[in-house]
Amino acid sequence: MNDSNLFQFSTLTVMLLLIGFYGGTYLLTLLIKDKKENTDAFMVSNHRIGFGLGAASMTATWIWAASFYAAATSGYTYGVSGPLHYGLWGALMILFIYPFGRRFRKLAPNAHTLGELIHARHGASSQLILASSNVLGSIISLMVNFTASGALVSVLSPLSFQAGVIIAGVGVLSYTIWSGFRASVLTDFAQLMAMMAIAIVIIPAVLFALGGPGALIDNMDVLTAEQADIFSMDAILNQGAPFFVAVLAYAIGNQTISQRLFAVDVDHIKPTFITATIGYGAIVIGLGMIGLMALITGVEPIDGNMNNLIPQMVSMYLPPIFIGLFFILVIGSLSSTADSDLSALSAIVMADVYGKNIAKNNPDPTKMLLIGRVTMIVATLLGVIFASFSLDILIMLVFVGALWGAIVFPVIASCFWDRVTNAAFTWAVVAGLVMFCLARFELLPMTGVIGIFFELLGSAGGGVVIGLMSFGFFGRRAGIIVGILGALVLAYFTLGFLRDYTVLLASLTAYGASTVVCIAISLLSSHKFDFDKIGRDVGDYDRRVEAASS
Amino acid sequence: MQSLLLGSYILIWPLVSLAVLAVILIATLKDIRKARQEHRGLV
Repeated sequence: MNDSNLFQFSTLTVMLLLIGFYGGTYLLTLLIKDKKENTDAFMVSNHRIGFGLGAASMTATWIWAASFYAAATSGYTYGVSGPLHYGLWGALMILFIYPFGRRFRKLAPNAHTLGELIHARHGASSQLILASSNVLGSIISLMVNFTASGALVSVLSPLSFQAGVIIAGVGVLSYTIWSGFRASVLTDFAQLMAMMAIAIVIIPAVLFALGGPGALIDNMDVLTAEQADIFSMDAILNQGAPFFVAVLAYAIGNQTISQRLFAVDVDHIKPTFITATIGYGAIVIGLGMIGLMALITGVEPIDGNMNNLIPQMVSMYLPPIFIGLFFILVIGSLSSTADSDLSALSAIVMADVYGKNIAKNNPDPTKMLLIGRVTMIVATLLGVIFASFSLDILIMLVFVGALWGAIVFPVIASCFWDRVTNAAFTWAVVAGLVMFCLARFELLPMTGVIGIFFELLGSAGGGVVIGLMSFGFFGRRAGIIVGILGALVLAYFTLGFLRDYTVLLASLTAYGASTVVCIAISLLSSHKFDFDKIGRDVGDYDRRVEAASS
Repeated sequence: MQSLLLGSYILIWPLVSLAVLAVILIATLKDIRKARQEHRGLV
């Protein structure tokens, strides 16, 4: 069974599939193309994206190529609970950010980036911390998605890895460059419809090709006790908890998400996010089940590479048409995320870098649009080059994750608490990053008093995560009580134990340290910020020029 | 019984996906109709 190679498309077939996908997507964007694009619409459309398109775009953006592979790997490694510990937490984070999203929209209804809001709240240094974390994060995301395309094309066809990377880069850029975010949202809808339809067909097809649930039950004894347990502690501590903490940071700090927050019709934020939560969870957990099925049937990934699991299962058990569908599924997922990254990067450079810091709030919208398009070209080039050289980005990825973790509390606190200062924001992020690095790279021995100190910080970080979630849904008092209780309970259970889980300890430490520093410095200040200033300072660029000229 | 449980555990996800797909499709058709009525672009 495991000797079989993956199915191979001919060069002609794979080119037809790629041309069909990217050509069709490009033609779709012609429907909305304006000869003279509006600068604000290039970044956030008309702030009135409807529920259907908004939910589709949010879901498609949140699903990237790695989502399928990682969920299947989780199912294969941790068994029955594995897919849940990838998909469920990722989905819940979409839900978690919507109460905060509503606050962002209330404070800055015409914003294009979260950085603009933070600029109005604190000034340039805090804004640029947020912007730089997003630039790094989006370029990494582009590289990962282009790499996924290269890997898929090289595994399923005679074409080279580099060919797959370049085709994806050119394809995504070609349909995004003219209309920016508007094109991203429209194509996300079509891509998500295709992805969902394919997932709906492929999951039961694999199950019944294997002989149905009965055949799987007959093989269940191959699972270890932990793998057969839906409440496996191994899965929670090694997969669920670290992923939960990481993805929370990603949800709050990432411009691809906040861009959609500012674009969706304000009355539809809640249903949009709830639908995206359910849609993401269903697709990703469902495809993760293919990893579980592979585990139960004794399939081993070719070359030991877990990313081969889903293509391998589809190749082994389904006819070639399904492999074509799977190919489109992966290309659709990586393209929808890559076009969102291009739109996010262009908005950050247009608004945060040029608009706020170079043009000092008096930008030329035409020049701004040009800057946005040039940013897309440069970002695509960087993504393609980094992907082609298969650079080891683990350190960069870890660093960006830490940066986002350290940003979560200061960003949220800045939007609700009038005493948070620029110094509190900046030093909180610095402290979170430093403490993260000390724990993550074990620069200090995690033993004795030092170990206890970091576990206490980590417990505080856990309390912050739980407290923020409670705060979002149930208000300030509930958030503070649940956060403090959560930190105390975690400290009781994790002292002497959390240090063995380095990734989790470091991530929670970033949250804990940044929160403690942010609160401490804010309490030293007696200055109170007027939140109405944000709405006055953040506005549309085109409208500002029209008002000035009339 | 175990087969039913495992089968449901695996097949519930494509079923939920189908429901979400229908919701998004219907909502988008409503978005298109509303945008036309208001003489503005969809995005």
